[in-house]
Amino acid sequence: MLNLKQYEAVNWNKPTSDLAKVFWDQQWKQMWQPEEIAVSKDIKQWKDFEHQDTYKKVFGGLTLLDTVQTNIGMNEIAKYNNDLQEKAVLTVFGSFEAIHAKSYSYIFTTLCNNDEIDAVFEWVKKNEFLQYKANRISEIYLAIKENDDESLWKAMFASVMLESFLFYSGFFYPLYLGGQGTLRNSAEVISLILRDESIHGVAIGFFAQNIFRKFSQEKQDELKVWGYELLLDLYQNEMKYTEDIYAETGLSPEVKAYVRFNANKALMNLGLDTMFPEEEVNPIVMNGIRNEGSTYDFFSQKGSTYALAKVQPITDETFNFDFLKK
Amino acid sequence: MKEYLKLNNDLLNSYSSTGILDLDKDKEATRKYFLENVNVKMRYYIDLEEKIKYLVAEGYYERDFLDMYPMEFIKKLFKIAYSYKFRFPSFMSASKFYESYAMKSRDGQEILEKYEDRITIISLYLAQGDQDLAERAVRSIMEAYQPATPTALNSGKKARGELVSCFKLTVDDTMNSIAENIGYCLELSRLGGGVGTLLTDLRPLGDPIKGILNRASGVMPVAKLLENSFSYSNQLGQRNGSGVVYLNIFHGDIEEFISSKKPNADEKIRLATLSTGVIIPSIFFELMKRDKDIILFSPYDIYREYGKRMSEISMTEMYYELLDNPNIRKLKRVNARKLYTEIKKTQFESGYPFEVFDDNVNENHALKGLGRVKMSNLCTEILQVQSTSEITDMDQPNEYGLDVSCNLGSIDIHRATKSENFEELITTGMQLLTNVSLMTNIKNVPSVAKANKLMHSVGLGVMNLHGHLVQSNILYGSPESIEFVDYFMEALNYYSLQASMQIAKDKGETFYRYEESEYANGRYFDSYITKEDKEPSATVKEALGNVPIITATMWQELKEQVAEHGVFNAYRLAVAPTGSISYIRSSTASLAPCTERVEIRDYADSRTIYPMPFLNNDNRHLYVEAYEVDPYKLIDLYVAAQKHVDQGISMTLYVTDRWTTEQLAKVYIYAWMKGIKTVYYVRQRLQTLEECVSCSI
Repeated sequence: MLNLKQYEAVNWNKPTSDLAKVFWDQQWKQMWQPEEIAVSKDIKQWKDFEHQDTYKKVFGGLTLLDTVQTNIGMNEIAKYNNDLQEKAVLTVFGSFEAIHAKSYSYIFTTLCNNDEIDAVFEWVKKNEFLQYKANRISEIYLAIKENDDESLWKAMFASVMLESFLFYSGFFYPLYLGGQGTLRNSAEVISLILRDESIHGVAIGFFAQNIFRKFSQEKQDELKVWGYELLLDLYQNEMKYTEDIYAETGLSPEVKAYVRFNANKALMNLGLDTMFPEEEVNPIVMNGIRNEGSTYDFFSQKGSTYALAKVQPITDETFNFDFLKK
Repeated sequence: MKEYLKLNNDLLNSYSSTGILDLDKDKEATRKYFLENVNVKMRYYIDLEEKIKYLVAEGYYERDFLDMYPMEFIKKLFKIAYSYKFRFPSFMSASKFYESYAMKSRDGQEILEKYEDRITIISLYLAQGDQDLAERAVRSIMEAYQPATPTALNSGKKARGELVSCFKLTVDDTMNSIAENIGYCLELSRLGGGVGTLLTDLRPLGDPIKGILNRASGVMPVAKLLENSFSYSNQLGQRNGSGVVYLNIFHGDIEEFISSKKPNADEKIRLATLSTGVIIPSIFFELMKRDKDIILFSPYDIYREYGKRMSEISMTEMYYELLDNPNIRKLKRVNARKLYTEIKKTQFESGYPFEVFDDNVNENHALKGLGRVKMSNLCTEILQVQSTSEITDMDQPNEYGLDVSCNLGSIDIHRATKSENFEELITTGMQLLTNVSLMTNIKNVPSVAKANKLMHSVGLGVMNLHGHLVQSNILYGSPESIEFVDYFMEALNYYSLQASMQIAKDKGETFYRYEESEYANGRYFDSYITKEDKEPSATVKEALGNVPIITATMWQELKEQVAEHGVFNAYRLAVAPTGSISYIRSSTASLAPCTERVEIRDYADSRTIYPMPFLNNDNRHLYVEAYEVDPYKLIDLYVAAQKHVDQGISMTLYVTDRWTTEQLAKVYIYAWMKGIKTVYYVRQRLQTLEECVSCSI
């Protein structure tokens, strides 16, 4: 037994992190698979759809971000986070990121042929703005050091930027179209992804806040400056990216407003002050992210409202209705 | 972007951020919608005569039914319709009508009719030359009667689907019958119908074929075949075909059947789009209460031993007999509580299966003398007797049994209470529904055509209960609301039966085997005649408006008239879920509570924001959302209605993700105990993370 590293087992009976279990439960309750949504119903509309190019690039960009988040982001953060329960939650989040990345491919496979798909993935490799954000975020992920709260916090900050902010220039388009009855099933997939991303943003933001509190005031100020600078840098890149892919649709101004709205949200998740003034965001897109679940209709698509059950056995007490007579 | 969609979405947006309703946004959306989308596309006609001539000459309207009336009368009827000065009360109602119901040119570019035109055409078409009925029809539909979607959509059109939308079929345990029924499903689905199919009588997986064991593949592959048939055959691509399969809980394949709706089930057995329903006899609940195992059986054994199909016996009566009979194989032993928990689990995850409480249905069945009700339909409100067809080899004639087609219509409760003549409203509704049945001939499904010809079954239902309760200052689920439902539904039952008796009298004809029904032997009236007349409370009396209160004496008189003349429609009442049809009228759906005060409705391919009818900043508290209604009170309300409905009521239960399977089971057990006949979906609202975190931080 001498000189052996002592491993500790994760003990869920003793909470070590405030909300780890809440996030864990919520994520599993939202379990879904892309194949549950009949994207093939969009094929007819897709054939006559004017801005196919923009749409494909939007999805190509999202695929890259989710790939980075699966392969590097969640893995690295999970690796260096010392709380075993949070580690477990982050690993689960990582699996969901993998589902997301795969679900874009599912939409591609359904709507496009192989040549078109290859072209999109080639475009992803070459687009400078897209590569810039992937690089910028990954660098921070890869710079985490063992037992170093500062680099871990920075990675969490970057992760929240990605989940709550950078995704949204892409999410805008399917939500905008879906709300108007165009390519609704692909939009349904996006709304399921959003439902997950919003937990990831809140959870990691929350974990980050717990770390942040432990820093000295001086450190906090320093990190804030670092953070806002990063955000600004990403924001400027995001504006160019938006102009680039949305050029032919004329939607850039609206997408930008939405991006700013979400940048503020990302900051709030991290417990920091917002940066951009409040402005109006297209209400159709806003309603696309309400995740209470819309009205289910069996002649139409699958509703996004069903989730895993909490099982409890039926007992003799189940047949007792005395509580109603009072 | 479409400006009106933005405005419509704005309503919800500002409501969710500020909690204040800005209904002007919705009004503005409606106005913009007309300006941008309707007025520009509306075809201009010189006058009414030119309009009708054009639409007939171009092959949009059928000619025959219009020829039954003089032009002067037709003009008068249109005038009556327009005299109501109808305005669409919400963006939802306007867009729903013009997107889905109004007739458009073949290239979809021109709108050919307005709301009033559609209603006048429906009336002329369904009245079939009877001027008095046509006039009453226009008034009733403008006021408070709503024909079901297929009738409203297809009446009078030259290129049209059927007027009926709902079918039930029984499959026999032979390859001939399976093949024949798949053909029927393709056919009915092509016509746009929802089809229910009973699989209870099929032998389960591993049963013998021609005496050799382990040969049969069971019900699941048949369900899969049906699912594929429905997705193949749709109404000109307008909507996907839909179907439901039902199975008895004592059937050998029940476990696979339940699992088939789980999202993570094996693709080979998973039913992605086909709905499922389970038939549950009371004996199951009794065994579950005593924490017993249940035994699963094979319909193959039952038929060989008793000469009856599994669906033709009462499992509650026969259970112990089957257990004791050594010739009946005991396929499997399953703990009842565990099995039911499994059902609840699947309901949480998928909303399915529906449940039909076999004995509640058959004990309160006015046609119990004719046979058993074995299943329900896609929305669990149709409950009618069926008998299985004998499908023989191709060189032999088939012997057709009775299956079901049902044509539906609904009374808008709120507007019915304002109607000057409630009796006339219901009578007109019943006459129109009866005409739909007489005009329908589903010739490619002989068992359906035969039953329709013999039974003239219809299903009159209701909508806008919650809307009316809000208008009357009554809280959904309160004792007053239950009292109101009781009085209203009794009046509906009374006048619909009176109307059916009157039709029988006029035609000198009753439904097939009427003599064996509870109407003929008078037992149907027992509880009504012996009841104690009482006065409703002041609030309820006011809410009832012009709806008469039915006394025991009135029932006694009706009983005597029925004894003399009989009844024309074998079935009269059924309360459907009234989805899109209630949106046009700006009503709340069926008897159900609203699910959200401001609802997001994703229907087929558009997203629309729908504030509940009459909703304003002052009455918001009365629009308690379904997930906050006490489920036991919701059931009590449906029980009050069910007493007066000869068929069933689509009842959806609403749960949140805080519920456990045990709590859900308890609610179902309560529903069964109280005599509810069927339970439709379980709908779940997933809490959002914001709620979650905020309540635990």
